[in-house]
Amino acid sequence: MLTLGEVHTGLLQNSVPLSAERVAKVLRPLSGDQIQHYERPLTRGVTADRPRGVDCRLPAASKANPHVVGTVMWRSTVVGGHLVQGSAYADVVDTGEKRRLPWSHYTASPGRLELLTRADTEDVAQGYLRGATRPDHLDTAAIAAHALDRVQRSALLDRAPSLKTRRTRLRWAVIGTGTMPQPTTATFRVVSPDLRTVEVRVADDLMPGVIGLCEDLALHDWLLTTVARLLDNTLTTRRYGHVQRTELLRPAVDYFLHLWMPGARVDESLTSVWESLERRPGFTRQWDTSVARIRDQINLTTIELLRLTECATGTSAPAPRGRPRLPLGPRPPRRR
Amino acid sequence: MFVFATSDKGGTGRSVTSTNVLYRAALNGEDVCYLDFDFGSPTAGAVFGVSGVERGTTQGRGLHRYLHGKAVELQRIDVWQEARVLGGRPAGAGQLVLIPGDEGGGEFNQPPSDELIQRCADLLSHLNEEFSVILVDLSAGRSLATELALAATGLERMSRIESRWLVFHRWTRQHVLAAEGLVYGVNGLIRQAEARGHDPVIFRRRIRFVRTATTEPSSERERLGGLSAAQVAWLQQRNKELDLLASNRQVGRVVRLGTIPLDPVLQWQEQLISNEDVGRGVANEATLEAFDDLAERITDKSTWEQP
Repeated sequence: MLTLGEVHTGLLQNSVPLSAERVAKVLRPLSGDQIQHYERPLTRGVTADRPRGVDCRLPAASKANPHVVGTVMWRSTVVGGHLVQGSAYADVVDTGEKRRLPWSHYTASPGRLELLTRADTEDVAQGYLRGATRPDHLDTAAIAAHALDRVQRSALLDRAPSLKTRRTRLRWAVIGTGTMPQPTTATFRVVSPDLRTVEVRVADDLMPGVIGLCEDLALHDWLLTTVARLLDNTLTTRRYGHVQRTELLRPAVDYFLHLWMPGARVDESLTSVWESLERRPGFTRQWDTSVARIRDQINLTTIELLRLTECATGTSAPAPRGRPRLPLGPRPPRRR
Repeated sequence: MFVFATSDKGGTGRSVTSTNVLYRAALNGEDVCYLDFDFGSPTAGAVFGVSGVERGTTQGRGLHRYLHGKAVELQRIDVWQEARVLGGRPAGAGQLVLIPGDEGGGEFNQPPSDELIQRCADLLSHLNEEFSVILVDLSAGRSLATELALAATGLERMSRIESRWLVFHRWTRQHVLAAEGLVYGVNGLIRQAEARGHDPVIFRRRIRFVRTATTEPSSERERLGGLSAAQVAWLQQRNKELDLLASNRQVGRVVRLGTIPLDPVLQWQEQLISNEDVGRGVANEATLEAFDDLAERITDKSTWEQP
């Protein structure tokens, strides 16, 4: 058995997180009243899964490009009132039928792609993770992006987010290892600054839970990527003084740090997948390092401000030698 | 923020100025992105000095095909990495990304469909999540690319995102009149924008003019490369007349965002001008300053308050 999918994650284009009520309003045009709402561990609004019909090729690694017909499911999620995800997924099934059947046959089992030509599971999974290369290939990226764009289109958003962020994409493939209990494995790869892939192997009956797992993984990867980028910008920017630089970290403290809860909403039977990802690449280890760096920056700025206050009131020793680092100084001259 | 660059005539230096201004903005730490909407002749790759995309991309993943739903994934070029002369992103600089057109894409030949408009708006707003300046280089004259840009930004959901229009023109009588026609004419930008859902009064405030390839006539003959006194006097007279003409036609100083001096380097080759080009004495420092000023004014709110 094989399930393929893709999740795109980005920042909702609003200045502050939305209340659960507002999230429901934003999602309503996408799925009417069929919105699922979860309060814990984080607030989460999810639209109903909708099918999108496709008749296309799969980008197999062997270039066999097997033909599939069926539907891909998509849904949109708003997490913590502030992050938005677009998700697309489908099972790939070989029914033995090699003729294209009437469309009603395919709509009767949504989220299923039926193979019209022979295909090898491993070959299709690897090809899919490498990505579509031809216009007639299955394009889950476009469907996931659309699911995200549809949320961002909402007229209820003020379009003044606290910072510029890049969307990240997680492309995933789940290979069923059969009905006997087998050890679960997950291989996570960073392909480019915005693209990651994960290949998961689990027993067949656990496969449906993997969609939620991948969404959770994508969310935490976005948090990690965004906060790391913010820290880098803070350290390299030449446009600000000490305080202004630290001020750049504010959105992370205000809006992102509390969202880190890896695996909290993942099916219990799949927690071993998160555990293996925590060993390698070690998401929480990386996150803790970033959070420590942010706190250190803030502490240093506080010390700097205290020192300057003391200097100003004459209650302390003279400032250390070397270039003074005035936190509120004028902007340095531009490089010509 | 979206910045749309347009001109009535070709050869105004619209693309070369836009690329240089964006490059300066990136050097100053802004995350910026260049969209080559000159579908008939997408040459931004050549100006940035990126090999393989001098006349647009040949990978089939450019803007033309993407907007028509024919490309799987839009090509993004990291100019710091790919441009021959830049050699990597300097510390403190922002992202500098080029989204190329397709080689042989051709101008759009029919008015944009609703689907095309929505797709374009989704693309622009997606890029706005990531970049602080998105510069859209439109082709010269009235084009369907301009129509598309106006339609996409005219959608209600796009109205909260800042957008600005730069009209490039050279400093001659014909160019001044042409720029006036492009903006205020019967089928001009303002009328077109109104038809696409923009408020004409607000839209008008979003337009500024940029003079290109100008010389400043003064009595210092050396500065003009050894012109005779009669020639200098003639130039000064013309300059005065043009100033008057421009302000009568609402293309004058009040709505001017910048003036780019004539530079021998740009006359001979459309390229990025680096600090090193100025250091070696090849390019003029005044040109670089003009680019820097323009880059700053584009994002400076006070510049865009009502003239």
